[in-house]
Amino acid sequence: MTQNLSASEPGLVASPDWVDEILLSGADTEVCLCSDQPVDRRTLRQLVSQRQSVLAAAGLRAGGSLALRLPPSMAYITNLLAGWRIGAQVILLDHRLTPFEVDAALHRLAPQVLVAPERTRGGTLRAFVDVDESVTPWPGRPAMTPHALIQLSSGSTGPSKVIGRTAADLIAEIGRYTRIDGVPAPGERIIVLASMVHVLGLVGALLYGLHAGVRIRMPERITGDSILDAVAAEPTPATVLGVPFHIGLLASMADPPVLPQLKRMTTGGELVPAATAGAFVDRYRVPLGNMWGMTEVGVIATDLFGEHRPALVPAPGLEVVERDGELLIGRPESPYVGLSDPTRWADGWLHTRDAGTADRDTGLVTVLGRLDSQISVGGLKVDLTEVEAIVRTLPDVAEAVVLYDDAITAYVTLTPPATAATVEAALTHRLAAYKRPRRLHVLEQMPRTTTGKLVRDTSVLRRAAREVTA
Amino acid sequence: MSATVGRDEIVAMLASFGSRQADAVPETIDSMELAWLLHQVEQRYGTRVDLDDGRLAGISTVSEAVDVLRNWLGRPR
Repeated sequence: MTQNLSASEPGLVASPDWVDEILLSGADTEVCLCSDQPVDRRTLRQLVSQRQSVLAAAGLRAGGSLALRLPPSMAYITNLLAGWRIGAQVILLDHRLTPFEVDAALHRLAPQVLVAPERTRGGTLRAFVDVDESVTPWPGRPAMTPHALIQLSSGSTGPSKVIGRTAADLIAEIGRYTRIDGVPAPGERIIVLASMVHVLGLVGALLYGLHAGVRIRMPERITGDSILDAVAAEPTPATVLGVPFHIGLLASMADPPVLPQLKRMTTGGELVPAATAGAFVDRYRVPLGNMWGMTEVGVIATDLFGEHRPALVPAPGLEVVERDGELLIGRPESPYVGLSDPTRWADGWLHTRDAGTADRDTGLVTVLGRLDSQISVGGLKVDLTEVEAIVRTLPDVAEAVVLYDDAITAYVTLTPPATAATVEAALTHRLAAYKRPRRLHVLEQMPRTTTGKLVRDTSVLRRAAREVTA
Repeated sequence: MSATVGRDEIVAMLASFGSRQADAVPETIDSMELAWLLHQVEQRYGTRVDLDDGRLAGISTVSEAVDVLRNWLGRPR
């Protein structure tokens, strides 16, 4: 099926035909997705076609814009493919955003149609849920750019960045996957634990799997037992794709069964501690692969055999260099919509804001950590500057410093009669749960430097908090 | 047959997430910690924790986790 990637010529990918050619083609009876029920290609095509009719009835046209605020589900997959098949631009909004955050995003991105859950069954522990969706016209505007996909990234200054990817760019990333040694082969399976709403699960599992004929299987629940049940459910080789949290689940299994089908586990999102990686490999005797990517690009570099840890090999066709301690990726165009910032993209180079090294002789890349205030919570990117800005704008809060100290931690001074409880209550409306401070310390006075700046040193702030409780 | 679980055990299981000290475990529990905790309880007690979503969604603190899991594990089986 990979020969269809020749369709990545610019003239062809502007047409919605790429969805059929690259993703949906294949034998009617080939099972391509497995959650509670197996879904074959004929059924998937029918479901996409049905969704297409509903979206068209809501007014969506080629060149229009569609926002999906759906958790990973058949509703999400089929509406995404239906939107693209219409030739619309699809905006993905994380389903965990609060109504306040969604409202801000909708006003900024102005879609013409919004798809959101009306009823969700199976929740907390499910990686893939059953959703009845509502399809609603929204007073937005047609797509302003040729991008097929729009995502929001946690911004390091002010509001989130809008990231656009064209169909050609998505097809190019699928093409990269087909050329990386160690990804699941046609006829094999991917057990997907990473969210399909974000780039690793979206392209690395859903789009690559549909393209290559790799069956995509979701475990019933995100527990160690369920993940291994999903591996054991069929005799074909299975690769588990997740984030480091999922390695921890499997590494802590008391007495895992021997599963010859388990071929590899691959994670992205953040560096895996050596002890966790060692515990997993000791227990399962299969390679633990590592991937590095970003929303703007998709997969950038991999080490799927765990043989270079922590270093990675750049994905085929991507150029990665180090400049002044920062890793840059060769990209002909800026991925940012409506943003001209030479510190993020200039002269064909995308700034990753990841510190790292790129070995000129071997080509191996090592990511050392962030150069800005972005952190990863279970693979989800959170920018502490965004969190601090939201905390600071609450009327109850006089001053605030937000930093990462094992968990997102806020130090604040308050305006009477506010309390920690009133601030926490206000934040539940403003910030998705994964972005909220886990610890909120109310101080009488914020520590300041001799020049009057707020202190950001964790040890000083911890001491100030201890003095309050003493 | 039934089992029971105490607050110290719950905190110890949460502390094993990210190799934290018990006193570094915040009282609030996020969704990832809840998934970790339920996985640990299933491993330790050899039982599937089949709580409905309403009850799982009601767990946002260590105290709530202790209450819900104590009831679940203490029920007659």
